[in-house]
Amino acid sequence: MMLKYIGNRILQIAILLVIYVAIVFFLLHAMPGGIKTLLISNPKLTPQAQEAIIRAFGLNQPLWLQFVDYMKNVFTLNLGISFSYYPTPVWNIIAERLPRTVLLFTVATLIAFFVGFASGKSLAWNRGKTTEYVSTVVGIITYTIFTPLLIFVVIWFFGSFLGIFPLNQFLNPDLWIHTRLNAQIIFLYILMTMVIIGAVMLASYTIALRFSHKVITRRMIFYLSSIISVIFSIFFWWVSPVGIYAADILWHMVLPVMTVTIISYAGTMLVMRDSMLETIKEDFITTARAKGLPDKVVRDKHAARTAMLPVVTNFVLSLGFVVSGGVITETLFSWPGMGMTLLDSTLAKDYPLAAGALIFTGIFVLIAHLVVDIVYAFLDPRIRY
Amino acid sequence: MKPILELRNLKMYYDTQAGQVKAADDVSFVLNEGESIGLVGESGCGKTSVSMSIMKLLPENGRIISGNIFFDGKDIVNFSDEEMNKIRWAGIAMIFQAAMNSLNPVYRVGDQIVEAITAHEPNVTFEEARQRVANLYKLVGLDPERMDNYPHEYSGGMKQRAIIAMSLACNPKLIIADEPTTALDVIVQDTILRELEKVQKKLNMSMIYISHDIAVIAEVASRIAIMYAGKIVEMSDSVVIFKRPAHPYAIGLMSSFPSIRGEKKELVTIPGEPPNLLNAPDHCRFAPRCPFATDECWKQTPSYSEIESNHFVACFHPQNLKKLVNMNA
Amino acid sequence: MADNTNMTVKSVEVKLESPFSIKVRLLWRAFKENWNIFSKSKIGMIGLYIVIIFAVAGFIVYPILADTVWKTTSLNAMVSYNPVTGYDFLQNNPAPPSWAHLLGTDPLGRDVLAQLLYSTPREFMLGIVAALITVVIGTLIGTVAAYFGGAIDTFFMRLADIVLLFPFIPFLIVISGMMQVDLLTLALIIGLLSGFGGITIVLRSQGLIIKSRPFIESAKVSGASDAYIIVNHIIPNVMPLSFLYMMFNVTGAIFSEAVLSFFGLLNIKMSWGLMIYTADTAGYIIGSNIWNYWWLWLPSGASITLLCGAFYFIGRGLDEVVNPRLRKR
Repeated sequence: MMLKYIGNRILQIAILLVIYVAIVFFLLHAMPGGIKTLLISNPKLTPQAQEAIIRAFGLNQPLWLQFVDYMKNVFTLNLGISFSYYPTPVWNIIAERLPRTVLLFTVATLIAFFVGFASGKSLAWNRGKTTEYVSTVVGIITYTIFTPLLIFVVIWFFGSFLGIFPLNQFLNPDLWIHTRLNAQIIFLYILMTMVIIGAVMLASYTIALRFSHKVITRRMIFYLSSIISVIFSIFFWWVSPVGIYAADILWHMVLPVMTVTIISYAGTMLVMRDSMLETIKEDFITTARAKGLPDKVVRDKHAARTAMLPVVTNFVLSLGFVVSGGVITETLFSWPGMGMTLLDSTLAKDYPLAAGALIFTGIFVLIAHLVVDIVYAFLDPRIRY
Repeated sequence: MKPILELRNLKMYYDTQAGQVKAADDVSFVLNEGESIGLVGESGCGKTSVSMSIMKLLPENGRIISGNIFFDGKDIVNFSDEEMNKIRWAGIAMIFQAAMNSLNPVYRVGDQIVEAITAHEPNVTFEEARQRVANLYKLVGLDPERMDNYPHEYSGGMKQRAIIAMSLACNPKLIIADEPTTALDVIVQDTILRELEKVQKKLNMSMIYISHDIAVIAEVASRIAIMYAGKIVEMSDSVVIFKRPAHPYAIGLMSSFPSIRGEKKELVTIPGEPPNLLNAPDHCRFAPRCPFATDECWKQTPSYSEIESNHFVACFHPQNLKKLVNMNA
Repeated sequence: MADNTNMTVKSVEVKLESPFSIKVRLLWRAFKENWNIFSKSKIGMIGLYIVIIFAVAGFIVYPILADTVWKTTSLNAMVSYNPVTGYDFLQNNPAPPSWAHLLGTDPLGRDVLAQLLYSTPREFMLGIVAALITVVIGTLIGTVAAYFGGAIDTFFMRLADIVLLFPFIPFLIVISGMMQVDLLTLALIIGLLSGFGGITIVLRSQGLIIKSRPFIESAKVSGASDAYIIVNHIIPNVMPLSFLYMMFNVTGAIFSEAVLSFFGLLNIKMSWGLMIYTADTAGYIIGSNIWNYWWLWLPSGASITLLCGAFYFIGRGLDEVVNPRLRKR
């Protein structure tokens, strides 16, 4: 049943993906003054190069043939050659930068979700207190603040005033100049470590759920295995000679992650608060109280767990918003990910790269959507069965 | 017989922006072990407020102003939440008004019952608790295999049975059944009520039935208390109330229920609207709708008078139904 | 007796009004009721006040000031000072706030306050035009999809799914990099794109609720055409929700414009985002420096935040009107 549901969702996402690429194609290529004209009229290109581009992109073919070609190209990752990084293929640039965005975005959204979830939960539970009022106001401010404004202040406060975090860039050039290491490889290793830790946590959670019925033992299994895996990976990086470089990358990541977190936690918090307030009025909460369960159990196990469902749905809907915030954040922190690539290539009139970045940003959002959808199915038995 | 629950002049008010709502005003009754009582009244008359006061599950704006609630000899009015948690379910369990929504949709039904057991009896292992739940399922006529299903996979009647099983989980001394069958169709309603009665007799529990439907209550409860506007206006054995209602409101309630066996008669409706409990008046609260009201009724609240043994009425002009019927005819 | 009937006829005649005035009266009453709920929401009122302040500043104060203080006289034309676009050679720019320039000048010697006020009506226009387009499209599609169901419904809902997942800002960035986008075009693009998005899903589900109400059935029975039912029955009932979403869309549109002009991608004369862009590209917003030149980015940034926030606040306030479940007791 579950597999069928997941299969269904994957199929739907695949269809959405095709339609998304189609929309991008038609909006960018078929519009008068679209990429087609821009490709040819780039003054940097020699006539031969123009000719080559027209042939390479099949620009003199009928539109639908171009569309079919385009689709084929997208799915074979043949996205053309970047103008500004000539002659690097667009796909190579994207393959290098996509993981950076994925890491930044995933870490920040996870933190933001848990912070928003926990604070929304306690806001609703402690309704009418000053703390509720203050944190709602703070949440609304960070939710509505103009992102660049927030980033200026964050950069000033942590970078200049406190001076504890590095500004700009993805790594410290002074450190890396003495090594022949490729930052990309280190970065992928970091990503891999995180995936492994995540997998260990997920596995221990499943095992705990399967083999124990006592809350305390479940928690013990989960936390112990998580902590052990984290300590082990830290130790591993510590003894490895490249550990310091990884630390450098992570150190540079702190501020952007914090910014994206600040931008996006409030959305979750406010929805969680509203959802929780509605759930508290439900009859099954009264039942749980009447059963004589401790306050904390009623709050966490019954109210929060159920109130979480609309929050997850809303979270899916806000993915686009967070990605937008990510573009601004990446640009202002010079974090060379997809967002910055998108903006730079647009400003440099590097259309193949801009289109490629746009498509892969979309694919990334779609996959994130799929992941959240599957998580949702695990959370809500009414969908699972 | 030992009294299990005693309410003494319970006053429960809600503070609202518009003023004080006197949801329960001077409510008193005694419930003995193994006995059952029915609280009857229209919606909004304070029945549920009384039951929630007993469980001490009041919303933030609801307060117990004065009065005592003795459960098992102890006054629980000033109990803290932790102390109450020990009494809830283990001492007093509840079957809720909206059984449809009383189960958490994201957990298995069986687990929700197991949870109640393990919360009160920490020494019981998970397997033992499950075994107990399976037995309870059999007791209320559910297939124990359905324990691992989710609430949305249950029908309305099954949910109701599961709720009853849940209320029995910790062998409580008292069960409050708040409109236990309202959402169900008549056939299922009847079966479930009978089963509830059977279980109650078998386990010798005390029971408070709450309903707007006096006919349903009379079948299962040995005593009936009729509530109007936050006050108990009449209380006696079910048979007595059914045969010789004395309060004009009770008479009105009786006449608005059709009888299958009895002669055909016109259903009498009580004129006027149910009272607004907001800033309730000092005089008899039924006076505005009462055909027998006199100046006296508009001046002060009537106190209880025992018109026959164990038949209490709060009215200045208790009536005799038989006489009335003859008069009209 | 005859007198009596005459009087009733008269009073009936008095009560007869043209349908139009009845409609107006009903609307007025509904408005007053909703206003009462809305005005209790603190956050909504704060939002409304902020919007009013901005509206007064942009639509009334700016024209007056532009006509008096910042009027291009022949004299200051010679020193080529124009509050919005011109040069001022008499001082070092950017100059901090002074009596001549209440919020200082930007790196090109332009008065920050003048730029701020000049942009205000344009931000309003952009936000409201974009939101109007969104709401009109969203309401039409949402109600039509709800009413007819079937293939139309499926198509628009899948489309909405995609639009929802659209990385909106990145897309606008690429578009505005490719084409010369001015304010009106941007409003059009934003309005069109978001009109097919989440708003249709919300309004469709609301439309479905209304479609199931009995009066739709009775309208059908009395021979009303589909179009008539949609326009006269369904749309008026989803209107409050549309209005609520319009507020959120105004926020989104203003925010998008600010981001795009902050990146210097728009083809416009002046806007709040562009003010920050100017300061940023001129190198005045770097780390520790930012508080030395606060007037270059803080007033405009704060204006964007406040106006976006204000519409969002109004939306939250309206939410309590539209969504009774959120209301406090």
